[in-house]
Amino acid sequence: MAFARLRDVSVEFPIYSGGSRSLKKMVLHTTTQGNIGKDAKDRITVLALSDIDLDIRHGDRLALIGANGAGKSTLLKVLAGIYEPTRGQVQSSGRVSALLTSSVGLNPDATGRENIITRGMYMDVHPRDMRGHIDEIADFTELGYYIDMPVRTYSSGMVIRLCFAVATAFPPEILLMDEWLAAGDAGFLAKARRRMEAFVSGSSILVLASHLLPMLHEWCNRAVLLDQGRIVAAGAVDEVAHRYLVASGQVEARELAPASV
Amino acid sequence: MVSFAAPETQDDTLADWTSPSRASRAWRDLVEGFKRNWLWTALAFQDIKLRYRGSVLGPFWLTISTLVMVVAMGFIYAHLFHTNARAYMPYLSLGLIVWQLISSLITEGCQTFLASEAVIQQVPIPFSIHAYRVVYRNLFVFAHNLVIVPLGIVVFGIPIDWHVIEVPLGAAALAVNGVWIAIFLGIVSARFRDIAPIVASFLQVAFFLTPVFWPIDALGAYKWIAEFNPLFAAIDVIRAPLIGVPVATYSWLVIAVTTAIGCTVTFVFFARYRGRIAYWI
Repeated sequence: MAFARLRDVSVEFPIYSGGSRSLKKMVLHTTTQGNIGKDAKDRITVLALSDIDLDIRHGDRLALIGANGAGKSTLLKVLAGIYEPTRGQVQSSGRVSALLTSSVGLNPDATGRENIITRGMYMDVHPRDMRGHIDEIADFTELGYYIDMPVRTYSSGMVIRLCFAVATAFPPEILLMDEWLAAGDAGFLAKARRRMEAFVSGSSILVLASHLLPMLHEWCNRAVLLDQGRIVAAGAVDEVAHRYLVASGQVEARELAPASV
Repeated sequence: MVSFAAPETQDDTLADWTSPSRASRAWRDLVEGFKRNWLWTALAFQDIKLRYRGSVLGPFWLTISTLVMVVAMGFIYAHLFHTNARAYMPYLSLGLIVWQLISSLITEGCQTFLASEAVIQQVPIPFSIHAYRVVYRNLFVFAHNLVIVPLGIVVFGIPIDWHVIEVPLGAAALAVNGVWIAIFLGIVSARFRDIAPIVASFLQVAFFLTPVFWPIDALGAYKWIAEFNPLFAAIDVIRAPLIGVPVATYSWLVIAVTTAIGCTVTFVFFARYRGRIAYWI
């Protein structure tokens, strides 16, 4: 049974503003304690996630809602096992497939077919086992002859199709998707949804981060609202989405208030 | 703050949550990564394939450029060092071939994690895989360069004896050292972006300070400076048996010490900073 559990998870991001990434500043900082040292110490850390407690169980189709910078993508990366949290514990079980950035580590000079094999290898699928699935993946992408062309020649929509098809070729137990997926056209989204319904039908987990509330309504059955790295609301998609709208609406209302006086 | 923890898991004992230590996670990373040898060998092949796509000779271009350099430098430098070209050319060519391996392991080692950023940000796979890939790729190119060795042995009539078994041992030692170099420099250059240029200029200086193309005996009383240079030791254990001379006194010792220190320091370093790599790149 797939699950993911987070306890008191915090993620602190070091921001190396321009020069503090350089060794020179670091060395100067350790040798001189004066002004230059201060310069090097302008290391800002951003608290991207703060004390997250979250249980995701099989059958969950969880929506991550929140403004830009609320921590949605960071939370996805923690769930994917890419970011080791600065504090707290993460436990999960189940094969994870993540569609986090649109580049997806595709090699632009290699063909679609070669990239399918490579991506499969990263997901621990031997090329030998992948070969049998290539045609099926190629069919799903509807890329036609483009499958044998370098990915450099693809449109962004075609890249999305390719990535989604590969990531879901072997039904993952935990599928993590960031909002860029929504950039696909309507026809593709409908097709993608049908494919997901096939395997998110009870034993798998989907976590989807997006601003597009209609899409979240359609795809998800639970939601959490993130604000500045904290979970501020959790529950049914309707309620959480409503809270999100109210929260962002209130900000607007307050800003408008002085003008109307 | 709203907690979204399921009620029935609230009273989970914390004992269930003890995660393995950093050291054991780092060790597991190295072992799990190594076990996926089909992955890093395939990735290394792909790197070579893409690097030389559209090129007829592929990695053999390196072999040819080495040959051109050897022929061009061979006569003039043999004269400069007052040795005969027949003895000097094999010395020079093997020196250059091994140096190319060492220097590309070091320069590409700086890019171990930076070059795989897109993958690291996307799929959680053992970090060591990226290091094995760098090392394997460079050994593969090295093997291409070695094809001129049998030719040289025949042309120059080099006496080959059982000492030649030191060659694969030397190559194995270079591979092991390549792994720690790729991990260590990979982490440091992910954090400090100016490490790669520093390393590149260091290598340029090291090329002239190491007996790659000049004979070690030219140092006279200061021979020990070169004898304790790990870069020379690495070249020596592969070159000496192939040109029919004994390996220098301290070469194997220097290699053993370098390997032990490098692996230990890198392991501690890797255990400490492994979790930060994804944040830095």
